[in-house]
Amino acid sequence: MAVAGRSAASLNDLAEMARVNRRDVARMFMAAGNGHFGSCYSCTEIVTALYFALMRVDAARPDWPDRDRFILAKGHAAPTLYSALIRRGFMPEDWMDEFEVKVGARLMTHPSRRYQPGVDASQGALGHGLSIGVGMALAGKIDARDHAVYVLMGDAEIHEGSVWEAAMSAAKFRLGNLTAIIDRNGFCVDGRVDDVMPVEPLADKWQAFGWDVIRLDGHDLTALLTALAPRRDVIEGRPRMIIADTVKGKGVSFMEDVRSWHSDAISPEQYACVLEELGEGGA
Amino acid sequence: MNAPSDLEVGAAIAALRASYPQKAIRLQFGETILALGQADPDFVVLTADLMYATGIEAFGAQFPDRLFNLGIAEQNMAGVAAGLALCGKLPIVSGYAAFTTLRAVEQARADAAYNGVKVIFAAQSAGLSYGVGGPTHQTFEDVAIMRAIPNMTVLVPSDAAEVDACLRAALVADISGPIYIRLGRGPERCWSTPGAHFAIGKAVPLREGTDIAVFANGSMVVEALIAADFLGSFGIGVRLLNLPSVKPLDTLAVRQAALGVSAILVVEEHSVIGGLGSAVLECLAETASPPVRRIGVADIFPPIGSAHELRAHLGLCAENIVAQAFELLQMAGLRKHVFLR
Repeated sequence: MAVAGRSAASLNDLAEMARVNRRDVARMFMAAGNGHFGSCYSCTEIVTALYFALMRVDAARPDWPDRDRFILAKGHAAPTLYSALIRRGFMPEDWMDEFEVKVGARLMTHPSRRYQPGVDASQGALGHGLSIGVGMALAGKIDARDHAVYVLMGDAEIHEGSVWEAAMSAAKFRLGNLTAIIDRNGFCVDGRVDDVMPVEPLADKWQAFGWDVIRLDGHDLTALLTALAPRRDVIEGRPRMIIADTVKGKGVSFMEDVRSWHSDAISPEQYACVLEELGEGGA
Repeated sequence: MNAPSDLEVGAAIAALRASYPQKAIRLQFGETILALGQADPDFVVLTADLMYATGIEAFGAQFPDRLFNLGIAEQNMAGVAAGLALCGKLPIVSGYAAFTTLRAVEQARADAAYNGVKVIFAAQSAGLSYGVGGPTHQTFEDVAIMRAIPNMTVLVPSDAAEVDACLRAALVADISGPIYIRLGRGPERCWSTPGAHFAIGKAVPLREGTDIAVFANGSMVVEALIAADFLGSFGIGVRLLNLPSVKPLDTLAVRQAALGVSAILVVEEHSVIGGLGSAVLECLAETASPPVRRIGVADIFPPIGSAHELRAHLGLCAENIVAQAFELLQMAGLRKHVFLR
């Protein structure tokens, strides 16, 4: 695999890394017997663009002060992040096979900086990530460092009131070094997000809270590369919100836009179908 | 022995109490934060529209780039503090105990304690110190909640000088986790020596005696001192321990202090559920120990009242410590009598 262990160069390489990521995620969930397929597959391109083209990270120095930060606020999509970190060299590949399978497994449902090099903040409870991201971006401003901070949230995560507390504070402190992304896949556990608790008009809401807002197709790598590019010269300014319209379960025909695949058990037969749809070969 | 009359106790204790000068905790907190800010350029302070209410306006005026006002949003404040700490900053969160622990507890737990970062939660108006605010602002569950969180240090200093020493110790402590400092609000009687060293995890012996042991922290330390000195005038020896470090608790000192006395009294301005009394009982339950009685806030929402009057109303005072001590010693005498017979 040409791009493993370093930043990808071309769009083709990135598309290939997205495919590898989906296969890795299926491998981890197969080890556990179930998983949040839908939530992972909707954000594959977002995480791939960040880790293989945009973010300044170094697997040899996971605590490098000048690294860019990524917070997976929708922590239940952790395997997508694990794959990216493993393929960038932060963690060994064979950790994937112990995902959730034993007491003390290093890879679990939600990301943890205790056990996983490269994870910038332990997550799991929804509605926490943006506040932590505000703190990280504020630290960058205080210390005049140019690291970028990215926070990836779910579209139903913003039901949590603390997200809006954080939204106000990011605008107040003019955190131009902060980029938040909403994975707008349309589903939460109990059904369509907008049936459970409507969130639109999303763009208007974030603009009203003082953010620059870009809405795009969250599976379009070209659009993501432009919209998510670090703004190292804009440490002081309006924070940036990327509303990424995505498909829950993207990439696997029988999972796409199906509520139950938010988190479900997978059989060996279904796993074979997933691998077939995602193509043979890979990393 | 015969217990003195209420009138005798009241007059003597009032005289002892009057011998201690008072200083407001909020005033001391502001002075200490300002002094520390001048000496140490690195830490930052966060508040939730409580700059004036927690006494840090002078720090804010001198260091406007180091004070961040998050508005009335304690959950976000705690998360932002954790994010700052994850990027190497040392944040001091200056808020009210009620909201720091009850509204933002998940952020304190998941963002700060679980992530293993040092955030100092300076939580004012705890206990009954804002008694007139009623049960929404009175805080009597905070120690129970915070000490149940792994990786959390819980400190309950008493008077102005100890608050100052405690903040200084917390600032330099080499701890990879949050530190919860429980603070009062208005004037409290000063008993400790300014400049004394504050050791996290250590008990502070204040009186030596062999009849009864009294453990206290926070505003109850000076009341316990008054009670101990009054009891001493009756020839009753009180072994008094100040326990400002509830977690880690100085279990060795607690166990040693429990040896050879007839009874133990634990006194705190907190619910009898989950606070210092519970921590002491957890420590002593695994050893043979004399009977332990707790003085604290019963399992109730207290009425309103000014801090000192409300404490007295609820029995959080030297007079009640004396009364309980006599009762415990009389019971111990009876026990001894029964056993000997």
